[in-house]
Amino acid sequence: MMDAGRHPNIRLLTNSELVGLEGEAGDFKAQVRRHPRYVSEELCTGCGVCGRNCPVEVLSEFDAGVGKRKAVYVPFPQAVPNIYILDKENCTECGICVEKCPRDAIDLDDPGKDLELKVGSVIVATGFEVFDPTVVKAYGFGLYDNVVTSMQMERLLNASGPTQGHILRPSDGKVPRKIGFVQCVGTRGEAGLQYCSRFCCMNSIKDCMLVKQHAPEIEELKIFYIDIRAAGKGFEEFYQRSLEMPELTYIRGRPSKILEDPQTKDLVVQVEDGEAGKINDFQLDMVVLSSGAVANKTNQKLAEILGIEREETGFFTSGEETGSPLESTKEGIYLCGCASGINDISDSVAQGSGAAAAAEKHLAKLRIEEKKEEIPELDVSGPPRIGVFVCHCGINIAGVLDIDALKKYAETLPDVVFVRDSLFLCSDDGQRRLQDMIKKKKLNRVVAAACTPRTHEPIFRESCARIGLNPYLFEMVNVRDQCSWVHTEEPQEATEKAKDLIRMGVAKARLLEPLYKQSIKIDRKVLVIGGGISGMRAALDLDAQGFQVTLIEKEGKLGGSLNDIHRIYPQDLSASELVETMMQKIKNSKIEVLTEIEITDIKGFIGNFEVFTSKGGLKVGTIVLAIGGELYEPEGDFGYGKFKNVITNLDLERMIRDNQGDIIIDGEKPTTVAFIQCVGSRDLEKNPACSRFCCPTTIKQALELKKRGTNVVVFHRDMRTVGTRAEEHYRKAREMGVRFLKYSPEMKPQVVGEGKASGVELLEPALNRNLTLPVDAVVLACGMIPNEVETGRLQGILKVPRGADGFFMERHAKLGPVETTVEGVFVCGTAQGPKDISDSIAQGSAAAAKVATFICRDTIELEPTTSIVDADMCRGCGKCVRVCEFLAPKLVEKSPGIFVAEINQALCKGCGTCASWCPTGAITAKHFTDRQVESMIETFLTEAV
Amino acid sequence: MSTKLSSITKKKTSEKKFTPRIVVFACNWCSYAGADNAGVSRIQYSPNFRIIRTMCSGRVTPGMVLKAFKLGADGVLVSGCHLGDCHYIFGNHRAIENFERTQAIIKTLGLEEGRLRLEWVSAAEGPRFGQLIDEFVGEVTKLGPSPLNNSNRRK
Repeated sequence: MMDAGRHPNIRLLTNSELVGLEGEAGDFKAQVRRHPRYVSEELCTGCGVCGRNCPVEVLSEFDAGVGKRKAVYVPFPQAVPNIYILDKENCTECGICVEKCPRDAIDLDDPGKDLELKVGSVIVATGFEVFDPTVVKAYGFGLYDNVVTSMQMERLLNASGPTQGHILRPSDGKVPRKIGFVQCVGTRGEAGLQYCSRFCCMNSIKDCMLVKQHAPEIEELKIFYIDIRAAGKGFEEFYQRSLEMPELTYIRGRPSKILEDPQTKDLVVQVEDGEAGKINDFQLDMVVLSSGAVANKTNQKLAEILGIEREETGFFTSGEETGSPLESTKEGIYLCGCASGINDISDSVAQGSGAAAAAEKHLAKLRIEEKKEEIPELDVSGPPRIGVFVCHCGINIAGVLDIDALKKYAETLPDVVFVRDSLFLCSDDGQRRLQDMIKKKKLNRVVAAACTPRTHEPIFRESCARIGLNPYLFEMVNVRDQCSWVHTEEPQEATEKAKDLIRMGVAKARLLEPLYKQSIKIDRKVLVIGGGISGMRAALDLDAQGFQVTLIEKEGKLGGSLNDIHRIYPQDLSASELVETMMQKIKNSKIEVLTEIEITDIKGFIGNFEVFTSKGGLKVGTIVLAIGGELYEPEGDFGYGKFKNVITNLDLERMIRDNQGDIIIDGEKPTTVAFIQCVGSRDLEKNPACSRFCCPTTIKQALELKKRGTNVVVFHRDMRTVGTRAEEHYRKAREMGVRFLKYSPEMKPQVVGEGKASGVELLEPALNRNLTLPVDAVVLACGMIPNEVETGRLQGILKVPRGADGFFMERHAKLGPVETTVEGVFVCGTAQGPKDISDSIAQGSAAAAKVATFICRDTIELEPTTSIVDADMCRGCGKCVRVCEFLAPKLVEKSPGIFVAEINQALCKGCGTCASWCPTGAITAKHFTDRQVESMIETFLTEAV
Repeated sequence: MSTKLSSITKKKTSEKKFTPRIVVFACNWCSYAGADNAGVSRIQYSPNFRIIRTMCSGRVTPGMVLKAFKLGADGVLVSGCHLGDCHYIFGNHRAIENFERTQAIIKTLGLEEGRLRLEWVSAAEGPRFGQLIDEFVGEVTKLGPSPLNNSNRRK
């Protein structure tokens, strides 16, 4: 959020609403209503005087109603901008805040503002709302104090929440010993919502783990569920870990009722045990309702303004039907996250990047190369001349710390030649004076004792740079957030602490050195490896933005695994048509397609890769890995290979693709077909991961068989048809008579028969004996595994790490799903982990967007705060090479047998870890050098005030 | 030797109220931000510590920690992002290794283990940061002044 707030090309309009949109893709006019904030964004410093003095207290929306806030407040602790807003509905207009505000920032008559913006495209990212569980009367939400929603639980667990992270039950503030989680509240057929809300299962599992962490004394945790839908990369493994918690029990069944003891406020959850045919009561102290996600209420109005369509569910209609999941029904308007359906965080992040790539198509012509003005640099040679600037921040600092004492003290410090205080150093006026004094007093180092460098260092550095002082000669001392604000009641100690901090800042400033941003030229060409759906999408998106792309495919034709697929569900879209359309688009584009080609080696780094292939070499600046995954080969499992009428889901898919009429398996049309789910997946020995796509695939295939008059039985562990459409198909399959039988991993079904499979044997728990279901054919729903040969080879060449599941590992599971730790190398589609076609397409677009952020210029600027090696001191031990995950240090043979480490500045992220491991001190972490850090330690401990 | 030292320190504490001096190394992305968050939330906690910001907890060398102890610090806290959340992916794993190396050395030096701690604090965990500092200050106060804390202060 802060990155977005600080980005020079992003303008944040918070508290604003789109009220009109005219024009067409590439040339929209958007009318925006900026609602009155009543607090000036320009003047407010977030000091909080208004909030502390406000007499009105109301329930906090951010704390989901479990905590309180004032009528003038910051919506949540990390809000951007981190300034106040006045809630006119609850404000009594007493005027105290107006009077107290040190900057006169509050105006109770603020009329707001109307804006008109010219934009090329629009991205809708309006998110979701939580289903209101008061509708489900049987659960007593709103009536029983100790029935809370998962959102409220989230706030209770949060260290910055209303209870500081202590789990206290609302009725008596006691720590609950027994907590139950009820899944699928409002979803999967209850209260009118048919779909599955996708993320709630994982959320409850996570909450259970957190509860255990925060309150080890917890005795019982219960999750009441229908299916545990841990469908996503790493999710099943997470679920498996939760099974090791002795306190946690999973109870299958949807509770029919929750009852409250009016005296103790304890709760009883009633659940029918379908297998034993009786109702069980569970005594609990607190119950958390996993309320599902529903479409945003404002979607209707927004759809009218934008002129786009919505689904019956209220979510916006996407182009999923045509293989463009991020497109709305109008050109130039794109959807991401929960605007078009329910997505978890990493898919939402990928979709966000993907929508950006799509939106850029209409902006490519407008892309401007920013110009930089040259500012002559100030001469900073000679001994340090340090200026110390102490900010009052209104009364935020000055109200606690003795500013005069700080100033006097600062004057006594070595090399300090000038000291000044300022009411608000960050104000235009404050910064102008800072600049004037740097010039007038010939300062060559600047120390600001003010708020936090995390928000304000960039601002002050910019001020320095504008007048030619190297911005790395600026040092910030945090005397607000980490001093005056947290030691308000001990002003004397706080002032002493501030003196120490200023002394430490000055000590570091004396040793600061000017640093310069380096820029390296980059090759703007992109290589996409793998011509499946994800790779094709990435290539097309980059081409649409005017970039030069080479798409390589090891097979003879593009399309990847889509070539094997008949129709794509739940969208009911022909796979061959989709491949055909994409190939046509590629033909009409400037994309260079190379098929039947193999990569033999890749050398270089971001911006400058040299690729060697079986058909010659090429030079590119960035690489997208879209090599896909493979289906598990079930040799020997469930009679596969032994019986000809035991086939895989892929075999069946090919049969359906090639055959409009009856499906013939092993020479005959089967009357009954059994599907066995989780073959080669969710298997602790073979592959613990859930492959995510197989449940919906089975539903699709079962419906195809059913249409052809074949009976279908599905043996499954949990039907994981997540999201807004797949669950509806699951329902349809049940309505059409497809039978679903659950099995446990300890009691797997057995395929029996002689010569051919004639039945599936399964333990019937109610009867406690094996029953054999006669079948004519068995379909094994095989999971997805990485393409071992290709993944392994590219890992060897590019050093992109692989996860425990064998797929390429993304940079961050949630925040960086298509980036890798190797700069300039991106990953998308099933090369990153099993996923369905829509998600693969979205990731293709996301990778394109991430690539574009690098190649939109022909140089990249490198932060100078990296680490460097002093070759004379390096003895070539290679420790730095081993500790760096970004592959920045490398050993180079300087003369025969003499190795020296070199750090590639383009790859170094500046963490300084290598410097801390270097045994000879040859590595310097610039701006955080050993000397600089040690000087701070020394001066703190040896030169007491 | 350490028993002898601790009897001396006990005498000292009875003479004058002991306020420990603690060095906190906080990584830029999580822990330093968490300390800022404590400020934004106006959490009140002990002032007996000074933060030194580094980009990553993996940057903190055993040398830095030992220097702090040598110069008389009563406690040192190294704090970084929670495992799995490191801005540099594995920097905090390196911090663990560094911490273990350092812990072994300070034990050899006869310093109590409790004087050096490694903790994870996220950017949103302001209240936890405050709590952690209070807790650590309390523990170090109980341990008394560091045996190495004496003549280094130039008054």
